[in-house]
Amino acid sequence: MRPIRLPARQKSALSALVCSTLALSLSASAAPKKVSGYESLGVTAGKTGGGATLILGDSPQSLNYYGAIDNNLGLISQQLFDGLVEFNYATYKLEPALAESWTVSADGKTYTFKLRQGVKWSDGEPFTADDVVFTYEQIIENPEARAGDAATFTQNGKKVNFEAVDKNTVRVTLQKPTPAFLLQMRNFIMPKHKLIKFSVEGGAKAADLNNAWPTNVAPAEVVGTGPFKLNSYTAGQKVSLVRNPNSWKVDAKGTKLPYLDTLDFLIIRDPQAQVAQFLAGNVDQLNITGAQFPDLKQKEVAGAPFKVVRSTALFGSPPFVAFNFDAKDAALAKLFSNLKFRVAAQSALNRNRLIETVYNGLAGLPGHGVAPANKEFYVNTKGSLGSFDLAAAGAALDALGLKDTDGNGVRNLPGGKDLEISLTYGTDSSVYPAIATIIQNDFKAVGIKVNLQGILVKNLLSTGLSGNFEMILHAFGDQPDPELRRPIWQPGGALYYWHRSLQSATDGAAPNIAKMFPWEKEIYSIFETAAVTPDRAQRKALYTRWQLLFAHNLPVIPLLKPENIGAVSNKYGNYVYNLGVIPGYNPVPLIYQK
Amino acid sequence: MLSFILRRVLGMLPTLLVISAVCFLVIKLQPGSFTDQYLEDPRFTRETAAAISRQLGLDQPPVAQYFHWLGGVLTRFDFGYSFLQNRPVVTVIGELLGWTVFIALLTLLLSWVIAVPLGIYTAFNRHSASSQVIGVLGYLGLAIPDFLAALLIVAVVLRLGGTNVGGLFSPKYIDAPWSWARVLDLLNHLWIPVVAVGLEGVAGLMRQMRASMLDVLGQDYVRTARAKGAPQRRVIWRHAVRNAINPLISLAGLSLPTLISGTIIISIVLNLPTIGPLLYDSLVNKDQYMALTLLMFSAALLLLGNLLADIALAWADPRVRYS
Repeated sequence: MRPIRLPARQKSALSALVCSTLALSLSASAAPKKVSGYESLGVTAGKTGGGATLILGDSPQSLNYYGAIDNNLGLISQQLFDGLVEFNYATYKLEPALAESWTVSADGKTYTFKLRQGVKWSDGEPFTADDVVFTYEQIIENPEARAGDAATFTQNGKKVNFEAVDKNTVRVTLQKPTPAFLLQMRNFIMPKHKLIKFSVEGGAKAADLNNAWPTNVAPAEVVGTGPFKLNSYTAGQKVSLVRNPNSWKVDAKGTKLPYLDTLDFLIIRDPQAQVAQFLAGNVDQLNITGAQFPDLKQKEVAGAPFKVVRSTALFGSPPFVAFNFDAKDAALAKLFSNLKFRVAAQSALNRNRLIETVYNGLAGLPGHGVAPANKEFYVNTKGSLGSFDLAAAGAALDALGLKDTDGNGVRNLPGGKDLEISLTYGTDSSVYPAIATIIQNDFKAVGIKVNLQGILVKNLLSTGLSGNFEMILHAFGDQPDPELRRPIWQPGGALYYWHRSLQSATDGAAPNIAKMFPWEKEIYSIFETAAVTPDRAQRKALYTRWQLLFAHNLPVIPLLKPENIGAVSNKYGNYVYNLGVIPGYNPVPLIYQK
Repeated sequence: MLSFILRRVLGMLPTLLVISAVCFLVIKLQPGSFTDQYLEDPRFTRETAAAISRQLGLDQPPVAQYFHWLGGVLTRFDFGYSFLQNRPVVTVIGELLGWTVFIALLTLLLSWVIAVPLGIYTAFNRHSASSQVIGVLGYLGLAIPDFLAALLIVAVVLRLGGTNVGGLFSPKYIDAPWSWARVLDLLNHLWIPVVAVGLEGVAGLMRQMRASMLDVLGQDYVRTARAKGAPQRRVIWRHAVRNAINPLISLAGLSLPTLISGTIIISIVLNLPTIGPLLYDSLVNKDQYMALTLLMFSAALLLLGNLLADIALAWADPRVRYS
C-alpha cells in the first residue's frame, strides 16, 4: 500500500501548506478539519453569528438527495451533507472531508479510507463506517434510486464492493484500477439510522428509497453531517437551515464553522424577480450572467450596498457549435463530416464579438474539453482556434467546391441545392439567441444560409440525442477530471450525439469503432487507456494528446468560456464564488456577517 | 331547486370523464418523456430512465395508464402521484390551494368592488368628461397585461426604496407564526398582485356593467319607477342594478377556473406560492397526473362556477326561478 495523499514531488508553497495542515489534522484524535490557506481567495478570520439568504430557482422536489435529480435539492443538500473527500476551494485538488486519510493499493484496485473520528450526525448519533457502506451499497448502487449512480459503481458487471473493516475504516474493492475513482467519493453520505427503513437491507422494496424524506417530512428526520441542518420548509416559499451544532470544520484560528447561525433559501423562479429581491436587500447573494452584469455593476459603482465579483471558472458550461455528422440530409452529413468544412465554419465564428457583445467582455477563449482554469489537465490549444476571417472561410468553402451557381447569394451543394443549415438553439436563455443571430449573420456573409430553430434550453440535449438537428448551439459543464466527462467527449459515448451512428445499440456494449474517423479511434482509445492508468503524468500526457486532437479535428467547435459572476451584499465577508451544485465544493461555511 | 342542482351535478360527471380523456390524450401527444429533463446529469443512464419509467408505470400502454388513474380516482379518490415531487398529487395541490384561493378571491372582489360602481356611474353619466376618462383608464388597464403592470409596480417600489418586491411576506415572516406584524407584512406585499390582477379585470367588468345598465335604464319599468316618484337611489339599486347585474353573475361563474390558470405568469413574476406555476411545470416536465388533475380541477371549477352562477342567478332573479 502506498499513500497517494501526500504529493511529495510537488514543491509549491500551497501544497506544502496543505501537507502541513494534513499532518496536523492527522495527529489529533477527534479531529475537526481545519479550513485554512485561502488567503489567495481573500478569506480572513470571520466572526460567528448572523444569517444569510440565498436563492433557489424553484421548490425542491424532495429532501432526499438520492430520490430526485433536482438542482434545487442539490443546493440544499450540499449544506446538509458531506462526502468522504472534497475539493480544495483554490486548487480544486481533492482533500480529506469525512475521510481523514486514505491509501490505495499498488494495483490501484483497493482503496482504504480512515474516517474522521468523533464526527456526529446532527441528531447526535455517531458517524461510522456503517453509514458509508450503507450509503454506497443501499442507496448509490441501488439501480432503482432515481438519483443514485449505479452505473458508475458497476465495473465489469459487478458492483463495487464497500466493506466496513472497523468502526472508522472502509475498504473499497474495485474490479479494475480506476484513477478517477476518488472523485466519485465526493458523494454525500447519508445516515443509516434514519434511512434504513427505506432500504432493501431494512426490508423495503428497492424503489421505496425514492419515497424517503418528501418535502413535507418532519425537519428533525433530515439528519446530516454538513455545516447546516434543516429547520423548516414552507412550501413554494422558503427553505430555512440552521447551524449544525455537530459540524466538524474549524477555521485557521480554531473557530467552529460555519460562521453563520442561519442560512435561508428563498424560492424565486423568475431571474428578474431574483434581481429585484437582491436589489431590495431581501437576498444577500446572487449568481448572474454576463448579460445582467452592466446593470448591477452600474448600481454598485453608484454606491449600492453590494459588490459584483468576477471569477475565472473551472466549472461552468462553455457553449459550442456542433454539426450533425449523421444529418438526415445526406449531402449535409457528408459536408459536416469533412474537417475542411468545420475548419471553414470556425473561421466564420467571431469569438471576440461574441465575448464582447453577448457576454459584455466577461468570457474568455475556450479550451477543448478542459477549462483553461484547470491547472492540472489543461493544455494551451488557443493556437488552434484560428482567427475570425470571412475571406479565408469563403476561400475554404470555394475550395470545397461549394460555389454560388445560381447567383442568389447562397452557395450551392453539389446537387445544386442551396447550402441551407438549420441551427437549433435555446430561446429561453440570455445568451443563446444573441449568439445564434451573430452566427446567422456571419455565415450569411460567407454564403451559408442559416435558419434559426429555437427550442427550450431544457430540450436541447434530448433534441441532440434524438439526432434531429443539423447544427446545434449547446453547452456541457466542465469538470476537474476529463474522466468525469467521458460520456460526452469519448466517441461513441452516451452523450457524443453529433456522431450518433457510433453509439452502440445496447448500453455498455462497445461502440461502432469501425465507423469512427481515425482521430476518433485515437480519442476513443485515449479515454479507454486513461481510465485505467494510475500514473498521474501518463494520464496527463494522454489527455493532452486528446485536447490537441480535439482542437485539430473539431468534433464540436467550442466558442468561449464564460466567467462566473456573482453579486454579494456588503454585509458579508469571505465570499467565494460558488457555481451551484458541485458536490465537494461548498464555500458557504466560510461566509460571515460583518 | 334541489332536484335541479342534483340533475346538474350528475350531468357534470360524463362531461368531466370526456374532458379527462381528452386532456390525457393531449398530454400524451406531447413529444418527449418525463425523464428527458434528467439527461444532462452524469448520474443518469438508460438504465435509470428505464427504472424510473417502470416505477412510474410509464412502461405501460397509455390506455392502461389512463384507466389505472381513473380507477384510482373513482375507487379511492386517489388522483395519482406527482412524478416530480414523488408525493400524492392531492397533497401537493393542497399545500398551495389556500393561498391560491385567497389571492384569487381577493382580486375578484377588488375587481367587483371597483368595477360595478364605476359601471353604474359611467352609465348614468354617459357623456360626462369623467366617464370618458374612466373609460380610457379602463382600456389602459385592459391593454396592459397583469404581469407587466406588476413589473412596473415592482420597479416603482424599488426606486422608492421599498423591499416588498415579490412573494407574500418578507423573508423573516415567511415561516413566522401569525402576529399583527405578519398580517401587516402580508398586506404590504399583497397589494401588488391584487392591484395588478384586479385592475385588469376592472375594465371588462365595468364595460359589461355599463352596457347592461344602459340596457336596463331604457326599460319601461325604470321609467315607471321614476314616474311614480321613487327616489333616485331606489330606482338605481332596486330597479336598475338588480336587473343589470344578472350577466355579471354568469360572468363571475365563468371566472372560477382562473383560480388555477389565470395567474401563472404573474405568480412567476411576483413569486407567489400559487397553483399556476405548478400547472406550468407539470405540463413542461410531463408530470402527467399532476397536469391531468389540475386540468380536471380547472374544468370542474368551470362547471361548478356555471352551476353556482345559475343558482346565484335564480336567487337574484325570480324570473329564472319561476320559469
